[in-house]
This record gives sequence, structure tokens and C-alpha cells, in this order.
Amino acid sequence: MSELRFEALNHVELVNVNANFSAGSHVVVGSERDGTGTLIALAAGMLDPARGRVLLDGIAPYSDARTRGRIASLFATETLLPAPDVARALALSLRARGDARSALSVLDEAGLTRFAKQRVSSLTAREGRAIALSIALSQLAPTLLALHEPLSVADILQEEFVLRTLNERSAAGAIVLCTASRLEDATRLGGNTSALERGSWLGPGQARPPLSNITLRVHTTEPRRLAARLSEAPDISGVEWAGGQELLVHGRELDSLAHSVVANARAEAIRITALKQDAPPLEALAAARAGLAQAYYERERGERRQQ
Amino acid sequence: MNDVRLGLSLARERLRGKTAPLVLLLSCATLFAIGVLERQTDAASAPDDALGGAAYGIALPLLAYLVSERVCASERLQRSADSLARYGTDRRAAVLGLLLASASCTAVVGVLLSVATLLGAHGLHSKALGADLRACVGIGLIAGAVYALYFGAASLLGKRGGGRKWALIIDFVLGAGSSALAAPWPRGHVRNLLGGEPVVALSQTSAWLALALIGVACVISSLLKTPE
Repeated sequence: MSELRFEALNHVELVNVNANFSAGSHVVVGSERDGTGTLIALAAGMLDPARGRVLLDGIAPYSDARTRGRIASLFATETLLPAPDVARALALSLRARGDARSALSVLDEAGLTRFAKQRVSSLTAREGRAIALSIALSQLAPTLLALHEPLSVADILQEEFVLRTLNERSAAGAIVLCTASRLEDATRLGGNTSALERGSWLGPGQARPPLSNITLRVHTTEPRRLAARLSEAPDISGVEWAGGQELLVHGRELDSLAHSVVANARAEAIRITALKQDAPPLEALAAARAGLAQAYYERERGERRQQ
Repeated sequence: MNDVRLGLSLARERLRGKTAPLVLLLSCATLFAIGVLERQTDAASAPDDALGGAAYGIALPLLAYLVSERVCASERLQRSADSLARYGTDRRAAVLGLLLASASCTAVVGVLLSVATLLGAHGLHSKALGADLRACVGIGLIAGAVYALYFGAASLLGKRGGGRKWALIIDFVLGAGSSALAAPWPRGHVRNLLGGEPVVALSQTSAWLALALIGVACVISSLLKTPE
């Protein structure tokens, strides 16, 4: 059973990332600024971690050529190997991989034959990424696919082809590690969802629950009476009063919590002078974002099963 | 072995294009013109002056620097083979391929620069031309190869291989002398081979050995500093 492991990883944006990935699909939600590009480059063995370790089946890919040969990758910025045209650049890549197939067959499989005779220097950045993705997806039996935003080139490389190939690789026992900055992409990619928020790692356990705790700051002239009343309300999970005119009221959903506070105050004829939501911490926002991705994914998977 | 060949292929692709032959052609034309001018000033010392000054003193180090910069894709040497390493190629072997390619390319450049300079400095019908050409082919080959390896090893330093620039400057400044400070750099030994002032009174045979030693040391340090 293959395993990709990040141990106390610190590199540029990434702060103390500890994570394990086994065979199957995994999506890391976050932008390049959050460190997703760096994470993929580290996983593919292109960067030597400043601190910590990246291990694929116990071996650091950065310092082991054979391990790198089992990794198919797509980076945030791609530059094809130098050659007069795309087909020859691809041929050199395949030769480096020890793959006997022709460049044209790889391009044909991905529906990118139109680029074969194009000059490498005339490709746009997105076209270059699409071709790099076709090289990564053409690798037979990789142990790890480390792909940065594979669906961001869906207009050039057919999404159906990308998703089908990723599913096949995942089913064959490969670790498919993708990043997505858009929740829709994360949903379509499927798998276990984690998140990166400004370099901090939020594993599936942390990422799963959406904003589970909402706090309202309620200012009133009669805080003691209102606190007593709210403490008995069923949709309020907790009330804090530290003296003064402010109450902290906790609950699960913003609308019902606010409605309950107002209704209970009216019932007791208590005047509310201010009511505002307490800003959630950044970690909670990141967890919510990853949790939403997970929720979208599960909803879509449920719908597919029903069909 | 296959990975070394991949490095050679990568270097060939990076050197491909019209710029490199154009720069070489312009350099040869300029050196030929300098040789002619030197001959008109003083025919007896023209070959030595043109070779030691313009050809091996300026043109060859500069062209070796440019070849190294291009072969390394303006990157650090360790990272210059990353585009192959991602597919499972051994970085060390690929870097060796890059170094061999730049060394052989610069060695040929060294020979062509010598030929162009001597043709200008001697004139086509000079009796000494043949003998000088024979002597300079060997010097051009070793000087070109060693300069390429020297700049390759210097590319290990700096964020994007900026050590190359420093290596060029250091060779110009320290290599121009004849004290022990000039011994680690190629310039003084090449000058010795051309009949100029030796470094720490080394014989010409020792200068060959010194250049070979610099080349080997550069290859070894390049490979040791590059991860697999």
C-alpha cells in the first residue's frame, strides 16, 4: 500500500504541515498563495524542504531518481522541455520517463493533436499546462499523481478525460493528490478533502465541519434578564455574560440564532441596542471552506448514486 | 548512461537556434579583424598579442560564460536538469551530460576563435601559420573545455547561478596576475601555454596539468553538490 507522508514540513508558505495520504483521491482546497503550488512541487520531489520531510513509501523523492520516476506531476507553472515543436518536446519527456510510446499517440489520447507541430515558445501558459497534464495522465501505473489545479485547463483538455483517467489511476492503487482553489473543482475531483489556509494545514477532520459555532454579540440594557431567558431557549447552545451590557450568544445557524434572540427579547419586553455577529477566526473560515467542498462532493455523490 | 545522453540532448536543444552561431560568427570576424590590425602594427608579435589579448583573454571566457548560462537555462547548475529530473532522470547524470555538452561546445569555440585570430594575424601565405594553428588547436580545446567546466561549477552558487558572473570577474582580476592567487583560475595557465608570463613560475607542461586539474575539480564539485 503506497503512502505519501509530509512530516513537520516547513517550506516558503507551508507551516508545520503533517499529513499522510494513502491510495485514493485526495483534494487540497486552497490557492497558490496558501501554498498549494509549493505542496505539489515538494510532493513531486522538485524542491528540497527547508525543514521537515516528504516521503513516498519511506523515500524522499527529491533525492531519489527512481522514486521520482513513479510520480506524475503538474505544477503551477509549467515549461515544456526545449524543442522546436511540441511533439519533439513531448518525445524528450517520454524518453526521460523510459516510455516507448510516441508523442503523437499521447497527444492523440488527450485530444491535443492540434498542438503537435506548434512551436513550444508560442504556447500560452495554459496550453503549456494542458500539455504537461496530458504527459502526467499518460504515465502508466504511477504511484503518485501530484497535480496542481488539474481542472483549470478544462477548456483545453476535456474534463471528462481528466476525471476518468484520475479515477482509473486511483482505482489502480495510485495516490491521486490534486489541489483546487475553486470549491466546484474540488467537488468534481472528489476524494478526501483537506485545506491549506495561508500555509496552515487543515486535515479532513478539521476541514469537514462547516462553521459549527456562531457567536452573536448582543447589547442590551437588561443583560441579566435576557441571559436567563436565552439560556432556556432550545436553539441557543450557550450564553456568556461577563458583566456590562454585552452578552455572547452561541448557536449553530445565524438566522435562527438571531431570530431566537430577538423573539425572546420581545417576549420579555427587553430592549436590544445592538446585535452583531462575532467574526469567526481564520481557521474556522478555512475549515468552513473545506467543509463546504466536502458537502458539495457528498451531495453530488449521493445524487449520482440515486441516478 | 541514458541519463547522461538525456543531459546532452537537453543541452543541444538549449543551444539550438540562430543566436549562438551568429554570436560565434561575429566573434570570429572581430578577432580576424583584430589580427589584421595587429599584423599591420607589428607583424612579428601580432599572433601572440591577438591570441593572448582578444581571443583567449576576452572572447573565449565571455563566450564560455554565455554557453554556460544558456546550457544551464540561467539557473543554478543543480536545478538546470530539473525539467528532466521530474521524469525520473538522475540529476547528477543529466548535469554531467550538460557539462560535457558545454565543454565540447566551448572547446570547438576555442579552436575556431584561434583559427580566425591566426588567419588575421599571419595572413594566408605565412609560413608560420601551419605551426601556430597546430599548437593552438590543443590550447583552444583544453582552454574552452576548462572554462566551460569552471563556469559550470561556479553556477552551483547563487540563487539563479549568479556565481557564474563572479567567476568571470574573479578570473579577469585574479587570473591576470602571476602569483599564487592566480593559480586556481584558468586565465594564467592559458596565458602560460600561449607563451606568456607563467603562474608561480610553472612550466608549460605543468600549465597543461593545472588546467586539467581545474577541469576535473570543477566536474567533481559539480557532481558532489548535485542531488540525485
